[in-house]
Amino acid sequence: MSILAHRDYRAGQTFDAEVVVVGTGAGGAVAGAELAEAGRDVLFVEEGGYHPTSSLNPYLTESIPRLYRDAGGTMIMGRPPIPYAEGRCVGGSTLVNGGMTWRAPERVLMKWETLTGQSDLGPRELAPFFDRVEERIQAKPQHPVSVGDDSRLLEEGARRQGWRYEHNRRAQDRCVGSNQCLTGCPTGAKQSTLLSYMPRALSFGARCLTEVRVHKLWVERGRCVGVIGKAVNPRTRRCDIEVRVRSKAVVISCGAVQTPYLLRGHRFGRRNPQLGKNFLCHPNAKVVAIYPFDIHAWQGVSQGGQIREFLDDGIVMAENAVPPGTAAAQIPFLGEEALEMMKHYNGMVMTGVLVDDSHAGTVTRGFDGPLARYSINAYDHERFLRGVRLLATLHFEMGAKQVVLPFSNMHIANSVDDLRRIEQTQRSRSTIELFTVHLMGTCRMGADRRSSVVNLRGELWDLPGCYVADASLFPTAVGVNPQVTIMALATMIAQRVKVPN
Amino acid sequence: MVISPVLQRHPDDSWTLADPRTVSQRTHRVFLALADAILPASPRTETTLGDVTRHALVCLQYMPRSSAMALVAGMRLLNWAPLWRFRGLRPLTRLSRGDVHRHLVAVTQSRWLPVRALMYGPLGLFMSTYFDQDYAHRALDYDPVPFVEERIELRRKWLEGEEPGADQEIHHLPVVPP
Repeated sequence: MSILAHRDYRAGQTFDAEVVVVGTGAGGAVAGAELAEAGRDVLFVEEGGYHPTSSLNPYLTESIPRLYRDAGGTMIMGRPPIPYAEGRCVGGSTLVNGGMTWRAPERVLMKWETLTGQSDLGPRELAPFFDRVEERIQAKPQHPVSVGDDSRLLEEGARRQGWRYEHNRRAQDRCVGSNQCLTGCPTGAKQSTLLSYMPRALSFGARCLTEVRVHKLWVERGRCVGVIGKAVNPRTRRCDIEVRVRSKAVVISCGAVQTPYLLRGHRFGRRNPQLGKNFLCHPNAKVVAIYPFDIHAWQGVSQGGQIREFLDDGIVMAENAVPPGTAAAQIPFLGEEALEMMKHYNGMVMTGVLVDDSHAGTVTRGFDGPLARYSINAYDHERFLRGVRLLATLHFEMGAKQVVLPFSNMHIANSVDDLRRIEQTQRSRSTIELFTVHLMGTCRMGADRRSSVVNLRGELWDLPGCYVADASLFPTAVGVNPQVTIMALATMIAQRVKVPN
Repeated sequence: MVISPVLQRHPDDSWTLADPRTVSQRTHRVFLALADAILPASPRTETTLGDVTRHALVCLQYMPRSSAMALVAGMRLLNWAPLWRFRGLRPLTRLSRGDVHRHLVAVTQSRWLPVRALMYGPLGLFMSTYFDQDYAHRALDYDPVPFVEERIELRRKWLEGEEPGADQEIHHLPVVPP
């Protein structure tokens, strides 16, 4: 059997493999599949469970504990605090994201090339890796049958404003717009790593240990030779069975928060001062418009396209319909008022303003988990205010009767006139309400060990045999959905992993 | 339409949902009082409050111990909102639903971020659970299962070579508004 779970482990069990990959998301699944295809004996270790497509459903109460880390209760501390979501299951965040496949823009890759002083992370060197990934996950535009009215409305609104709107290319095979991206696609169309890279890896002989949380690297004579974890009892959620994996190389792909948390649990000589620094998160502000007619935003692809008119200023706008449970948790009302607002759910268009980070936070070790810290600065705050005002204006121009704004002291705008008060009322960074799903940059890649955590092979400067392949490698924010860039880097690293004989 | 097994609320894929976190009777009363004031009074069933608080306790099991403890401590602190807001001496568990609701609205609208932040957990846990129930869906005229079933069937035909036509596009607006 190639996928094991808690019930399959025995105390003190040790598995052997040539390469152990921790994580099965955009980084881990890709690196592991590439290595397995190259003939390596690969063993994945995944903290979450294995949930086949047939088990996915539209119910949040079932999906959130199954598929999301900490049942969705993850938070970045700062001003303001920023809730974030990431997957914890086979497939990682690719199972619960929108599946957008935007490449890192050329200007970003040029910057990476300049920062590292090497062409490895430049647009020309990375292009073949992007091509390979896009072929594997079937990145392509949406068929018209999958597009919903909220996407059409936003596109038309952008056109009337004279703004550039671009249709998304997504990781999908015959997507029919069921709009269940956030709870896992039950149609099997979205090409998450659960359906693309993991089956490929398993077909080349890879194995996968699920429900095992890695808490330690196994280090011998200065080299990483495996990982030590504990299986999580699904009923009690206690880590009760120790599981060890011995290997010749280790690839860590736990994401930009969990990877530095794991690595900071060790001291390999002098701690790399860059580890856990440069934490980037593409914060988002939600703008929910209520129209006087039904739109049924929950029918049709979760995000059909993006307003990219302000991309050079680091601002992207898009729609993203969420189920009523998620929407209700974000609106500023309780009790009957909340129900009255939610009765307009079919007339809601849920949109957001994404701002490219202009500065960074940190990830350190907290009491029993990672502690992410990040506060927006004045420049980013200014861009949020501008983005929210522009997006709300678009909605009013398209006929919205009300817009719910992401400000704790100014939640409702009933007209364009109300939007003029944004700049006056939003002087404090504490009143804006943000969230994020893009976490990046805490183990940055580079050619100089003083300014990076891993080298251009993806190997830790301080620990031979230990590689990183996830979003924590990014030297800067990408400003777009990071999935394909993570996958491209993971493909590159898989080709550079050295497995000693 | 018969509900396809693939869209069942509790799919049987041999995965086990955790038992709810054990809390004291007093903490449980706080959960119930907060849920009662945060959720709409109607529609509900007899078991709504029990179901919603039970699910919140299940979710706590998936969080790091420190986060779960902080969340519970935050709710216990909220229980004494009348005291630290200088509006009374009795905790929320001993007030009427209307009074609890008023206190929580004031906390939600506080100008102080740390005070507002106390409501993040209860709002997220209780609202997302309540608005995921079938009776709440009916109140919103939201019914995803038949739609998703129809889309699964559409994709099945597509995989067999029958490409969908314009009549299968999703249109609710006759035209984009002028």
